[in-house]
Amino acid sequence: MNCDQFYSVFRHPYSITNLASVQNNTSNKMSAESDMEYSDNDGDDYDYYGEQDDCDMEAVDRTKSDPEYFLYTCLRVEEVEKLLNESIELLSNSLQITPSLAKVTLHAYEWNAQEIINKYKENANEVLVYSRVKSRSPVLQASTSRSSCAVCANTPPMHKYSALACGHYFCNDCWAMHFEVQIMQGVSNTITCMAQDCELRAPEDFVLSHVTKPNLRERYQQFMFKDHVKSHPELRFCPGPNCQWIFRAWTREGARRVECQGCELLTCFSCGAPHHAPTDCPTIRRWLTKCADDSETANYISAHTKDCPKCQICIEKNGGCNHMQCGACRHDFCWVCLGDWKSHGSEYYECSRYKEDPNMSSDSQHAQAREALKKYLHYYERWENHARSLKLEEQTLASLKSRINQKVMAGEGTWIDWQYLWDSAKLLKRCRYTLQYTYPFAYYMDNGPRKELFEYQQAQLEAEIENLSWKVERAETTDRGDLENQMDIAEKRRTTLLKDFLEFHTTTASSSKV
Amino acid sequence: MAATRRLQKELNDIRQSGLKSFRDIQVDESNILTWQGLIVPDNPPYNKGAFRIEINFPAEYPFKPPKISFKTKIYHPNIDEKGQVCLPIISAENWKPATKTDQVIQALVALVNDPEPEHPLRAELAEEFLKDRKKFTKNAEEFTKKHSEKRPTD
Repeated sequence: MNCDQFYSVFRHPYSITNLASVQNNTSNKMSAESDMEYSDNDGDDYDYYGEQDDCDMEAVDRTKSDPEYFLYTCLRVEEVEKLLNESIELLSNSLQITPSLAKVTLHAYEWNAQEIINKYKENANEVLVYSRVKSRSPVLQASTSRSSCAVCANTPPMHKYSALACGHYFCNDCWAMHFEVQIMQGVSNTITCMAQDCELRAPEDFVLSHVTKPNLRERYQQFMFKDHVKSHPELRFCPGPNCQWIFRAWTREGARRVECQGCELLTCFSCGAPHHAPTDCPTIRRWLTKCADDSETANYISAHTKDCPKCQICIEKNGGCNHMQCGACRHDFCWVCLGDWKSHGSEYYECSRYKEDPNMSSDSQHAQAREALKKYLHYYERWENHARSLKLEEQTLASLKSRINQKVMAGEGTWIDWQYLWDSAKLLKRCRYTLQYTYPFAYYMDNGPRKELFEYQQAQLEAEIENLSWKVERAETTDRGDLENQMDIAEKRRTTLLKDFLEFHTTTASSSKV
Repeated sequence: MAATRRLQKELNDIRQSGLKSFRDIQVDESNILTWQGLIVPDNPPYNKGAFRIEINFPAEYPFKPPKISFKTKIYHPNIDEKGQVCLPIISAENWKPATKTDQVIQALVALVNDPEPEHPLRAELAEEFLKDRKKFTKNAEEFTKKHSEKRPTD
């Protein structure tokens, strides 16, 4: 292919290459300073889903102003261990059972200690049977002589046998080997008795009394902890790669946004997928499965480059903003619909709305399939495009950091003076994130006035986000008041849309604190 | 090896018990971890032949389950063309160290005699089994005649 045919249009005040060099210079000059200040923990950026220990007044306010507001905390492994141990201690004290037995019952009853205590008082036997630490059938009588261990066929002395509450005796060497194999396979809480058809679980003290290798004991306890977190309805591991943080919240219904303190990943507490408001959990699962199935075709159709609608020159998108200006002919157009940008500036923003072809003959199956594909691609392309924009805007965010540092170093104000730039880029990211997830929502919506309202609001949001993106990319030359005004408008559009369309299936968060 | 004593005992027990449905057990003396034998089913359409299987025991046996594969081709919804068979009793999750090989073989014989089309390995055979039993039986009988081994005469 002839290289001359490709022409990249840079719409940015700094091209990507310029930015890179700026970044390098600054990092050389002031590597020590480059990581200081403005970490997310400062609390002065838009990290508005803050800590639990804020005063009540503020919490009440937030639930009104932020439709995604959700009470949660980010915990470290040690904090969660403490939390779990408190439950274990409480239960073992109030029922006078061993901590290891308490663990098994808590695991079985999803950490609802109160339920266990109540049921235990009614019928202790039933709780133990349900937790699989006691057999329903009468226990086998331990015979006084044993011919051989049923597992290894050896004949060790009598005192080298042991059994769980079911009375299935095996030699200690076999128990140790059984536990070793199970632990190496990642099993911990659910290791069962070795007898055929016996579902009794081995409590921790029984396992540890047979496992002597230190690394194996440690592994067992690590798996145990993971298993406990996974079985606990109030806890969820942050799915970020190598991330050690654990979320704690009190409900698992609807799209629930939690942000990791460690890796900043946005996750839905209810389903563990990337956060997806306004789309609900089953819908986003359907959408992602569909995209995974169809993505090859879709990727092929929505290529990474497009031709300028006016002069047909090939254009590569290198920034997040969808307001494009052709470098060759200076034509302003929309990257998404390739329409003239003039029609996007007005209050009625059309390109997010999918128009079904009215001339389509409804009885032709082939035509229907084509229309279905067209409809899917309409939403998919927008979904993908905003995902790409989000990635590019993350680069903007990164380069902004060094640009601000450079300004501060050059004596052009302090970090506080430039904070608004950082805030605007963060807000843009958040708005575009929500916008991306409006597309699967719209795809699965039934036609009707509600969808029309949704697409109207979506269009409004999209228009303001593109305005914001345009201004953020030119932030240093834009008037600060103008930028802040635009931030306010975009965030208002976002919260309005979420307020109207983010649905939670249960309104009250059931509190089952133990 | 820990597996040896247990396998030796199981082999003796099975040979002594004289199972009708599992015969001609062959074990190489140098390697007790591999057994071969003939499955002799009672139910049509498989009762016109016998099917050779191989049982492979892992070194960690009996703490890890054995693997079974068919050496004779068989027209069966739960056994695929490579001779692999899906038998819950020997899946890693269900396996119990105290489970004996004769229990495994009995579960296998039961599966051969009565296919379980609800969780098939060969979906097309399961569908035929459910929708057109006559055709399935005819195909399976012909297949058995063509590919299976001779049944022991005693």
